[in-house]
Amino acid sequence: MDRRRFLETAGAGGLALVAGCSAEQVETEGSTGAPADGGTETRTATGTESETGTTTGSATAGDETLVVAAYPAFVDAPSTSPGAWLKRRFEEETGATLRYETPDNELNYYIERARQGADFDADVYVGLDTSGLIRVDEQQGSGQFTDPLFAEAGDLAGSDRVKEGLRFDPEGRAVPFDTGYVSLVWNATADGGEFTAPETFESLLDPAYEGDLIAQNPTSSTTGQAFMLHTIERFGADGYLDYWADLRDNDVVVLGSWEDAYAAYESDEAPMVVSYSTDQVYANREDQDLQRHRIRFLNDQGYANPEGMARFADADAPDLARRFMEFALTPEIQAGIAQRNVAFPAIEDAPLPDEYAEYAKEPAEAVTFTYEELKGNLGTWTDDWARRFASG
Amino acid sequence: MAEVDLTRLRVEYGDTTALAGVDLSVRDGEFFTLVGPSGCGKTTTLRCVAGFEEPTGGRVTVGGEPMAGVPPEARGVGVVFQNYALFPHMTVGENVAYGLKFADPPGGVGRDERVADLLDLVDMAGFEGRDPGTLSGGQRQRVALARALAPGPRLLLLDEPMSALDARLRERLRVQVREIQQELSITTVYVTHDQEEALAVSDRVAVMNDGRVEQVGAPRDVYDAPATRFVAEFLGDNNVLTGEVRASTAEGCTLDVRGHALRVPPCDAAVGDRLTVCVRPEDLRVGGGGENRLTVAVGSAEFLGDTTRLHCEWEGTPVTVRADRDPTGTVTVGFDPADVHVIG
Amino acid sequence: MSRGSSDPAHAGGDGRGRSADRYALPVLAVVTALLLGALFYYPVATVLVDAVVVNGRLTAGPLVEVLTGEFYVGWLARLLTDPAALVRETLREPGALGTLGLFGFTAWQALLSTVASVALGLPGAWVLARFEFPGRRALRSVTILPFVLPSVMVAVGFYSMFGASGTLNALLSALGLSELDLLPSLGAIIVAHAFYNAPLVTRVTTAAWESVDAGAVETARSLGADPRRAFRDVVVPQLLPAVLMGATLTFVFTFASFPIVLALGGARYATVEVFVYSAVRRLDYHEAAALAAVEAGVSLTLTAIYLRYERAQSQRRRDTRPPARESLLPDSWTRERVVSRLAVAGYALVVAVVFLGPLASMIYGSLTVEGRLSLDAYRFLLRRQTAGASFQVRPLPAVVNSLLFGVGTLAVALPTGVAMSVLTTRRFRGRWLVDALSMAPLAVSGIVVGLGMLRGLVFGVTAFGYRFTVTGTVAVVAAHAVGAYPFVVRTVAPPLESLDRSLVESARALGASRLRALVDIELPLVRAGVVAGAAFAFAISVGEFDATVILAEGSGSYTMPVAVERFIGRRLGAATAMGTVLLAVTTLSFLVIERVGGEGGGFGG
Repeated sequence: MDRRRFLETAGAGGLALVAGCSAEQVETEGSTGAPADGGTETRTATGTESETGTTTGSATAGDETLVVAAYPAFVDAPSTSPGAWLKRRFEEETGATLRYETPDNELNYYIERARQGADFDADVYVGLDTSGLIRVDEQQGSGQFTDPLFAEAGDLAGSDRVKEGLRFDPEGRAVPFDTGYVSLVWNATADGGEFTAPETFESLLDPAYEGDLIAQNPTSSTTGQAFMLHTIERFGADGYLDYWADLRDNDVVVLGSWEDAYAAYESDEAPMVVSYSTDQVYANREDQDLQRHRIRFLNDQGYANPEGMARFADADAPDLARRFMEFALTPEIQAGIAQRNVAFPAIEDAPLPDEYAEYAKEPAEAVTFTYEELKGNLGTWTDDWARRFASG
Repeated sequence: MAEVDLTRLRVEYGDTTALAGVDLSVRDGEFFTLVGPSGCGKTTTLRCVAGFEEPTGGRVTVGGEPMAGVPPEARGVGVVFQNYALFPHMTVGENVAYGLKFADPPGGVGRDERVADLLDLVDMAGFEGRDPGTLSGGQRQRVALARALAPGPRLLLLDEPMSALDARLRERLRVQVREIQQELSITTVYVTHDQEEALAVSDRVAVMNDGRVEQVGAPRDVYDAPATRFVAEFLGDNNVLTGEVRASTAEGCTLDVRGHALRVPPCDAAVGDRLTVCVRPEDLRVGGGGENRLTVAVGSAEFLGDTTRLHCEWEGTPVTVRADRDPTGTVTVGFDPADVHVIG
Repeated sequence: MSRGSSDPAHAGGDGRGRSADRYALPVLAVVTALLLGALFYYPVATVLVDAVVVNGRLTAGPLVEVLTGEFYVGWLARLLTDPAALVRETLREPGALGTLGLFGFTAWQALLSTVASVALGLPGAWVLARFEFPGRRALRSVTILPFVLPSVMVAVGFYSMFGASGTLNALLSALGLSELDLLPSLGAIIVAHAFYNAPLVTRVTTAAWESVDAGAVETARSLGADPRRAFRDVVVPQLLPAVLMGATLTFVFTFASFPIVLALGGARYATVEVFVYSAVRRLDYHEAAALAAVEAGVSLTLTAIYLRYERAQSQRRRDTRPPARESLLPDSWTRERVVSRLAVAGYALVVAVVFLGPLASMIYGSLTVEGRLSLDAYRFLLRRQTAGASFQVRPLPAVVNSLLFGVGTLAVALPTGVAMSVLTTRRFRGRWLVDALSMAPLAVSGIVVGLGMLRGLVFGVTAFGYRFTVTGTVAVVAAHAVGAYPFVVRTVAPPLESLDRSLVESARALGASRLRALVDIELPLVRAGVVAGAAFAFAISVGEFDATVILAEGSGSYTMPVAVERFIGRRLGAATAMGTVLLAVTTLSFLVIERVGGEGGGFGG
């Protein structure tokens, strides 16, 4: 904090004196809305940063800084997270500095900023999914959120290697960098070793499985949402609520978050939990009994939840952002992210150790809803589910 | 230099009026008592002088200075409350010394010396280290008095200081308070609901009722010549009679009270006017004697030691008589017109 | 003039010169109002405005939608939409009204939780106020520990204590009893709510019980009342305001409960706040704002009703002499004593199961991996501390920040809370409304406050060509203080109000300014209340999560609960280890606060 900022702060008076308040001069909006390809850009002069102006494409990034926005677990999970490793490798590769921003509200934080017309520093967002993208597009037009939040990815080196089924953005902004499959994790040691998870959605309703499944609330959890979408895929938009009513009658437990659900599962509250198909990777790493961490793909299907990255439309360092996305798609980095995020790479030829495939299970058939299928429906589906499940 | 003047003092709480325009002047060095039934506004008046209450109208001056906006701590008043209000977490000595934190002791003495002097003044010498909780009510009240006097206030305000004490103690303490007041010649405003107490110690009293001052004067004047029916009935025993004027001459008036003619001193009422008069019980003589005679039925008698108070009934109104014996049945009481006071 | 003096020079003297002293309280009140406005009302308004403004136009639409939605309010909806039909049908078939919808269920579980909290908390107050035993003061000072625990820790503790293969079932089967299936259920939610809130009931009631006048009890006994009768006629009326305050706060908190409900009850027990959360998550601000507004309306109404009651109850007290405590282990035993000690022992057992069980389970969880003793979780903390990246949450800074924010919160919340207490003990028209509004930080949805802080403070306001933002350490402290000061007011105002006002007036007449009288006379006399308020304020700050993550600038100002949250992974060792650190640090802090505050005297509340 330099002197000038201090003076501005002090000069702001009033509130500034009681709360750690700062005032930054807002540049008069001359050229609003940077072009989507990021040729020139508008910046706010903040008085704190010396660097201003335009970035143009160059081979070495030098003393440039790339601000990467991510969900907190991407950089700060207690087990492993790709954040620190990715930062080191990227900095070695480009000579630039990579800085993470991990707001607790994740993507909604940036949507909020756009709505409120508050600028931000992030250049790339890591961790987009279909429903997030739908929120972004639905919100555009509200408040001061007029121009697109994300830019089209354009021609990225290596993007042709991305598995076709994973692409979820029809407008080509988000580029998948990894994917997970939502499945059941079950405990083969339950019931004195007699327990076996059902093979199909229908057999989950068998009275033998009464009270045996822990799922998550789709309104507050990603895995919960994926599992609900899977049931919609299976029973249709007009059938899934009946299925859930039956599940409810069979005493399914629906907790708020994946963390709650998994903790309950680990306390042997029930022998099945909705989770990720990579569960054994952790179990193996932590020397856990793999019999307690069996994977079941109901109807041999797993609901795919690809994660994507996208460049903010008014990124300060659009070219560096592009380089970051290309870098993240290179085979070695893909393998590294997948292992550290305990997920599957987005490209076919990532050099993963053989052991990884042994524990990270992929379903025979991946199912997912497309952007178009979800848009306009996701909110209704979730809302109907919540109302139906909470009442009655 | 510490006379107190109250001018058209009003205090209202929402829709209720506590003081409805009070005018009073307390002279320098005077022992001035506000007396009246509870709710009459006497304590509110005192609180306005102390600065605990902000008047909604009118003004207060102390020593000629307007007090509007002056907080209590800047008014130079000492206050003693009915419940002593000793600080329970401080010793007696600390209580008395508290005011000396904010002002140097008068007379250039040291603080400890001042505390010792004051405790001595109230006959509590040597109690410095005691916990107030261990003292009797009378002792606590004397400590409270010492504490109020310690900083050398120009005005002493006493709010029902005796009413929590038993009768014997009350009498002793009020004499002591009066002596200390005279010794210091400190202007003192004393609030009490006890008319006997008011008459006993004051230089002057103000009788208050319903947010107004009914009468101000020396105790004897107010007792002998009540200006209103309320004052007549509030101060001591009194027999108040109302009738119609039948004749009015320079020698006196004749009043028709319930069909009986009574002679009263001259007044400027015209024939046909309603007139209220009073006569003290001690001026009624049992067995006649006096120009006016009433035949009363004796109800009950209270033996008071030196005299007996008879509660009688005359023509449906209660009449109180003082006597040195207690007759029963029907007696005749007589009184002179000169002993009758005309209220108006 | 040897003894007394009526030196006129003293008169009107230095009082006017100490104007700074004179204005301290009003200035503090203004500061409080500004803090409230800037850190609470303005941010919250930025969110709640969506309940009445759609597309820039004023409308009752979102509110009407909630109030006439059968899902939200049950049959009340028809009361608003079609009252005639409702009355007709009810007359024809009484009892066919059906439920009260989401709000009905939310209020129902809050009511049950309140009853459970009072039932569990009151005996605690009885034990702490009436018995003397070693460690009593320490116990009293750590009573409100549960208050600071992150909900996820409580959930974990509950699963390992009451879960299908938890400690309780292990005990039961060891005793040859049948195992219980307690989780998840409405009952679990209620017990967890009691886990959080019973200590609050205990704490405020203990303070009131300690200031019951022994003289009054003795008077009642001398008038022929047996001990039970004396208790009912003398003690109960003096405890009732405190108990009702604890109950009101419990209801308000549990009415807006959300993570505990989701973790221990599951989606079928969703509360209003769950729907607020999911509406905010999918950025449906109109629904979120309308739900939160109605929710806050209910809570504020209840708070206001309580406050009016509290006013009506307040009695001016003379100095009181607290009743003496009985030794827990008396020299001689009577039937009565045996019964009361058995009751204490029974209560201790309940406390052990409900409070110590989950806490011990959490600590045990941090020390074991797959049932084997292991320090892995603590090694993780150490590794994070020494090798963690700057953008990661590290344990030691989290501890330091928590303490720093806690002390900062105390420094702001105590003076402002005391100043507000003094001002609200004055009598003026509509005082209860001012009082209720100043209590609003307790009644408004935490999710809404969080979103409002993001909009109003982090993103800031543009004015005069500047964007004003409020973030960082000072903002976190201020936000914590706004959340904490109502507790100070609620613990300080009632005893302050019941203090004999002639004490202050005596001090004023003796030359003390209002502030000086407060510091010299009132505060020492209500010390028990001040210490309780300080403990609450500290607890609120240490346990606060939402505002901290929103206002902290980067990982540098993260606190212990944030670290706990971040350390939650597939295994819970790291999080429980951090939770154990939180528990240890907070326990120590409470002991220090109680020690510094000293034993509340017999005169305080």
